[in-house]
Amino acid sequence: MNLMVASLLAVDPLLDTDKWWWKVLAIVAAKVLAIFVIGLIGTMLMVWFERKIVSGMQNRIGPNKAGPFGILQTLADGMKLFFKEDLLPDKADKWVFRVAPFLAFVPAFLLWSVIPLGGDFTDGKDGTVTWFGETTRVQLIDPPVGILIVLALSSIGVYGIMLAGWASGSKYPLLGSVRATAQMISYEAALGLSLGAVLLMSGTLSTSGIVGGQDGIGNWNIVATGFIPFVIFMIAMTAELSRPPFDLVEAEQELVGGFNTEYSSIRFGLFFLAEFMNVITMSAIIVTLFLGGPQPLTLGGVDMLGFAGPFGGTLWVILKTLAFLYTYVWFRATLPRLRYDQLMDFGWKLLIPAALGWFLVLAALQMTRDKYDGLGPVLLAAALGVAVLFVAYLLFNAALVVSKRNREREGVAY
Amino acid sequence: MNALLLAADVNVAQNIGFYIIAAIMLYAAFSVVSTKNVVHAALWLVVVLGGVAAQYILAAAEFVAVSQVMVYIGAVMVLFLFGIMLTRASIGADTDVNNKDWKLGIPVGLVFFGVLVYTVVDAFEGTVIVEPSAAQIASSTTLISDGYLGDYLIPLIALSFVLLAAAVGAIVLARKD
Amino acid sequence: MGQYLPLVVLMILATAFGGLSFAASRLLAPRRPSAAKQAPYECGIVPSRQPPDRFPVSFYIVAMLFIMFDIEIIFIYPYAVERATVGEFGFWAVVVFSVIFFLTFVYEVARGGLEWGPLHGYRSLEQDAAMVSAARDSSSTIRRVGLEGRVDRVTAGGANTEEAA
Repeated sequence: MNLMVASLLAVDPLLDTDKWWWKVLAIVAAKVLAIFVIGLIGTMLMVWFERKIVSGMQNRIGPNKAGPFGILQTLADGMKLFFKEDLLPDKADKWVFRVAPFLAFVPAFLLWSVIPLGGDFTDGKDGTVTWFGETTRVQLIDPPVGILIVLALSSIGVYGIMLAGWASGSKYPLLGSVRATAQMISYEAALGLSLGAVLLMSGTLSTSGIVGGQDGIGNWNIVATGFIPFVIFMIAMTAELSRPPFDLVEAEQELVGGFNTEYSSIRFGLFFLAEFMNVITMSAIIVTLFLGGPQPLTLGGVDMLGFAGPFGGTLWVILKTLAFLYTYVWFRATLPRLRYDQLMDFGWKLLIPAALGWFLVLAALQMTRDKYDGLGPVLLAAALGVAVLFVAYLLFNAALVVSKRNREREGVAY
Repeated sequence: MNALLLAADVNVAQNIGFYIIAAIMLYAAFSVVSTKNVVHAALWLVVVLGGVAAQYILAAAEFVAVSQVMVYIGAVMVLFLFGIMLTRASIGADTDVNNKDWKLGIPVGLVFFGVLVYTVVDAFEGTVIVEPSAAQIASSTTLISDGYLGDYLIPLIALSFVLLAAAVGAIVLARKD
Repeated sequence: MGQYLPLVVLMILATAFGGLSFAASRLLAPRRPSAAKQAPYECGIVPSRQPPDRFPVSFYIVAMLFIMFDIEIIFIYPYAVERATVGEFGFWAVVVFSVIFFLTFVYEVARGGLEWGPLHGYRSLEQDAAMVSAARDSSSTIRRVGLEGRVDRVTAGGANTEEAA
C-alpha cells in the first residue's frame, strides 16, 4: 500500500513524498479547487468585461442592472439559461449531441493546469514557493512537456465544435462546424511553428523553464525572437479562439448560430463558457511564452510591484493578461470580419511560410552566435538568411500566380 | 507472478493503470467494428488512440504521448471525420455499409489473434517494465532528438519524401476530372 | 507519470460540473416539445428545396495539409529544444527536411489546392454598357450569381445566367 501511494504521489517533483502524504494530497486538492473557482469566476468577469468595454467603445452603457456596475450580469444570464427548455432535435444523434459540449469545455478547464500563476523567477530562482512547509510551484502540474499539453488540449477542443455541428442533424450547423474546424486547424499549424521560435530561445518545453529564462525585459521572448513570432502567435491564437475578426463561423449575420444553432439552454451556455475560458487561458499562455509570465518589469533594477512581496508574480501575471484581454475586446469592437477565403488565404499563404522561414533564420542566427564570436558573422548569417527567404518568397509568389492563372483558365478544379 | 509484482523496482500503480487502460481500449476497439454508425466507429477509434497516448505516459514517453494526441487525434482523426461527414453524414444506422457475411470473419479474426498473442508472449515473456528515473523522464526529448537527427537521419529524409508523395497524391485524387 | 494525477482530478471535477449543470437543467427547465421546435432550424423558413449536396473537397485538402504540417512541427520541436546539443549537423538536417516540406507546399499551392474564393472574372464592358442603355430589359440588368454546384445552373429562372468571363 505504501509503495502504491508513494508512486501515485509523484505529483510534483518538488513535493516531499516520504512523510505526511496526506498533506501533499491536501495541497494538490486545494490547488485544483482554487483553479476551478478562479476559472469560473474569471470567465464570468471576462464576459462582463467584454460587454462593458465594447459598450464603452460604442458610446453606450452596457449591463448595469445586475449587481454593482452589472458585474453579476453573467451570473444572471447563466441562471436564466438553466430555466430555458432544453431541446433535443429529433434528427440529432443523441449521444454525440450530449457529449460534444464536454469535449469543448473540459479542455478549456484543463488548460489552466500548466500556466505559472505566480512565483519568483528573478535572478535564476526557480519559482517555487513554500506552503505549510512543503515546496511547490504556483501551477497545478509542471511536466517536462508542458507547453505541448496546451497544443494537445486545443486539438481536442476542436472536436467539440466539429461533433456539435454534425450531431445537430441539419445541414447548416454541419457546414458551419466544418468551416470552423478547418479554420481552427489551419491556424493551429501557424501556432505550432511560431511556438518553435520560442522554444529555440528557451531550450525547454516546460512552462516554468520557459518563464524562468525570461529574466529582464531584454530576455523576454517577444524581444528575443524578434517581434514576428509574437505577432504570428497572437493572430493565430485569435483565429484559433474564433474571436473577431475571425469569427465568421459563429456570426449571427452569417450562419444563424453556426455549429451551435440547435443547442439551447445550458448546453449552449457550456459552449459559451468554454469559448470565454479559452480566451483567458490563451492570453495567459501568450503572457507565459512571450512576456515572461510572473517575471517583473524592472525600472532601474527595482521591481515596480515590489510592494506586493510574494504575491508580486501573481499580480504581474494578472496585469499582463488583462492587457491582452483588453486587446482582444478592442479587436472585437473595432475590426470588421474577415471573409472565409480571406481567412484561409491569410493563414496558409502568409502566416505558415512566414513562421517557418523566421524559425529557420533564427536557428541559423543562434548557431552562428554559438560558433563564432563578434557581430560580423551574425550579420553575415542574417543577410544570407534574408536572401534565402527572398528566393523562397519569389518561388511562392510564382506558385500563387500559376495557381491563379490555372484557375481562371480551367475554372474551379476541386 | 506475485514475486514480479512485489519486486522492488516494479511500479504497482503503473501496472494497475496499464490493465485498466488496456481494458478500456479493448472495449473501444471492439465497438469500432461492432457499432452501426460510421461516425460512432470513428469516435470509438479516437478513444482507442487516446488510450494509446495514456499508455505512452505510463511508460514515461511523454513527448511521444503528446505528439500522439496532437497528430493522431488532432489531425488524422479530424481528416477521417471530415471525410465521413462530408460524404455520408447520415445520422442513425447505416444499413448499407455492414457486410452481410460478417460471421465469416470471426474464425479469421481468432486465428490472427492467436498468432499475435503467441508472438508477443514469446518475445516479451519475463520482461518487466521498471519505473523510469526522474532523469529519464526529464530527458525524453533529448533522447528523441539525438535519435532522429543522428542515427535515424535517413529515415527522417525518407519520411519527408513519403509526405511529399502523399501530398501530390491527394491533390491528384481530389481533382474534379 | 504520477505528476499527471492533478490533471486527471481537474478533468473529473470539470466533467462533474458539466454533469451537474445538465442535471440542474433537467430539474429546472420545462419540457414542452412540439413539432416546430424539434425540426431543424433554418431561419424560420420551412425548407422547400434541398441545398446542393456536394461539399467542397477543399476541406479535405486542408485537413490533409494540416497533417503534413503537424508532423513537421512535431519534428521541429525536439530540434528547437536541443539545438545547442545537436549543433550544426542537426541544423542542416532540419533545413533539408524543411526545404523538402516547403517545396511540397509550393507544389500544393501551384496546383490550386488552397484556392478558396469564388472565381473573380473580369466584367465585360459591353455588358456593363447594356445595363444602362436605352434597350435594357431584365435579362441584361439582372445577373444571377452563385450558380456553382447547382444542377439546374443553365435554366435557372430564365434570367440572364451568363457569367461575365
